Amino acid sequence: MARFADHWRTSAFRLSLLYGGVFVVAVLALLGLIYWRTAGYMILQNDEVIDLELHAFQKLDAAALRERIAHEMDRDVRHINVYGLFDHDGNQIAGNLVSAPPGLPEDGTVHRLRDARLGEPWQALPQLRGAALLLGSGELLVVGRDVAPLIEIRAIILRALALVGSLTLLAGIGAAGLLSVSPLRRIGAIKSASERVMRGDVKARLPIAGRHDELDMLAGIVNSMLDEIERLLSEVKSVCDGIAHDLRTPLTRLRARIYRLQQDLDRQPQHQAAAEQAVAETDALLARFQALLRISEIEDSQRRGGFADVALDDIVAQTIELYEPMAEARSVRLVYAARAKPRVHGDGELLFEAINNLVDNAIKFSPAGGSVQVELDEDARGARIDIVDSGPGIPAQEREAVLQRFYRGEGTREAPGSGLGLSIVSAIARLHRFELELADADGGTRVTLWCAPLRLHG
Amino acid sequence: MARVLVIEDDAATAQEIVTELAQRDIAADWVADGREGLNKALAGGYDAITLDRMLPGMDGIAVVAALRERGRHTPVLMISALSDVDERVRGLRAGGDDYLTKPFASHEMAARLEVMLRRSQLQPLSKLRVADLEMDLIERTARRGQRTIELRSAEFRLLEYMMRNQGQVLTRTMIFEAVWGYHFNPTTNVIEVHVARMRKQIDGPGEPPLLRTVRGSGYVLG
Repeated sequence: MARFADHWRTSAFRLSLLYGGVFVVAVLALLGLIYWRTAGYMILQNDEVIDLELHAFQKLDAAALRERIAHEMDRDVRHINVYGLFDHDGNQIAGNLVSAPPGLPEDGTVHRLRDARLGEPWQALPQLRGAALLLGSGELLVVGRDVAPLIEIRAIILRALALVGSLTLLAGIGAAGLLSVSPLRRIGAIKSASERVMRGDVKARLPIAGRHDELDMLAGIVNSMLDEIERLLSEVKSVCDGIAHDLRTPLTRLRARIYRLQQDLDRQPQHQAAAEQAVAETDALLARFQALLRISEIEDSQRRGGFADVALDDIVAQTIELYEPMAEARSVRLVYAARAKPRVHGDGELLFEAINNLVDNAIKFSPAGGSVQVELDEDARGARIDIVDSGPGIPAQEREAVLQRFYRGEGTREAPGSGLGLSIVSAIARLHRFELELADADGGTRVTLWCAPLRLHG
Repeated sequence: MARVLVIEDDAATAQEIVTELAQRDIAADWVADGREGLNKALAGGYDAITLDRMLPGMDGIAVVAALRERGRHTPVLMISALSDVDERVRGLRAGGDDYLTKPFASHEMAARLEVMLRRSQLQPLSKLRVADLEMDLIERTARRGQRTIELRSAEFRLLEYMMRNQGQVLTRTMIFEAVWGYHFNPTTNVIEVHVARMRKQIDGPGEPPLLRTVRGSGYVLG
């Protein structure tokens, strides 16, 4: 299950949220417009009613006017109408308006009516509008009316807004989450394909869903990049192999010539020594080329014909038997502890070669009086072979590099060997999909060969 | 004088083989074609054959298979540019006695051929002897004169191999293949160390040395 942060980072998720936000704003604008136009219309209607009433009242005589006002107040069950009749001094004659509203022009047109003091059971009305007119009798007539439904409509619109807004947001988040599931799943597939490439499978390619969307386009670009890298790699490799192969034959002939020369030489010791040295140098060169070609051979043999059920403890025991005299000659203690008898699926000959190389290195880099411990064990992750030496150790930043061809650690350039031992082990491990791990061990180095095929996780 | 038939289509390689063998007093006839090679081999008179794996006319595997089919047991050293383990197995299964990958050092080729020439005359023995060095393969004991030599398992196999091929130059690769049964080149001098330790065991102080190093080549016992 992908974490929320993963979902949040997908473009699908963010776009969905953005759309949700824009939608909420649009709904807000629409409802605002409706409210504004509705309010304007209702105020207009209200004003017309006031105007009509005012002009109807104006035509009545004094007694009829008082009677009409009382009558209208009786009829006003919703308490939204306001009437006021005041004498010349501003004293109330009739109506529910307690005092003449200040600031209301006495021009017979409708204005907003503020600060109206009303008698019971009328209450302060929020959207009150009214008109004042000075009658011929000198009395002041005020007619007002509240735009009551406007408040209700506003409340309805606000409720609708809250409901629509939150629903849109919820739906947006939900849709965003759902929409990001598929891209995340594809990213997962791309990740595991990339991991295969990083593990050296140069033939692996990123999956393409066939939707021609951004992810497919990107995967396509990366894949053509990988094609090019694979082509370059194989070119470099074939050049390397070619050089190694082409040079090996003349080197072999050179060795034969020097060897023959050595046989024919007079018995003068200085000539003999020089010839012997020349043969040894040529042998060292040949060993290097041979190791190089050996790596290619192992890497090429994607075949697993030689794979069988292999008893690791037999193989390790053979290695110990082979290297025990060398350790003794170098005064290095070689200790072997088999804590399990694991069986693995692999090529016995190649595994023997790999373990040989590891033990060889460990003995070579251990000082006289040091020790090399070889441990065979098995746990939940699978079988493991540990080779722990008491050599100078490998600095953390060099551990990656020592697995590469020809790499020699600082200060080990003088040590014998082709510099390809660990590369051969690496190649063998890759063929088996085993994992080679280097770690620190009290100053020395612990090399672990995990003898379980790597599982792809992703 | 031993006679060897060289079936090899590459002139340079053939020349190298013939020269190296001539140095060791072995007469060699060279044939470049597979079919012709088979005819010569069938005609007889050879003590051993070096046989290229890839040949015009007839493939090396087919040649050795045809030879064995007709009941000829002349030892055959297969020589091939194909170093794959499968190729080696195929070559040996078809009837080859040994397998060498190109390019090879000529001393390695000669040493292998000489062992093969001798092997054809050897009988299975339960007791081996080189001067006053004796080995009992059934009792699994070894002694030099009156002195008993304690041998570990690998040392026993090494001494047995050297005694069976006494007087022959044995290269490091041959020893590794015969004693440990693997077919790659050990990266360092691990075989030298084994032989040096063996030397200490069999050549005690004051005794005439039996194990000799042949510079740039290998070791000889006896």
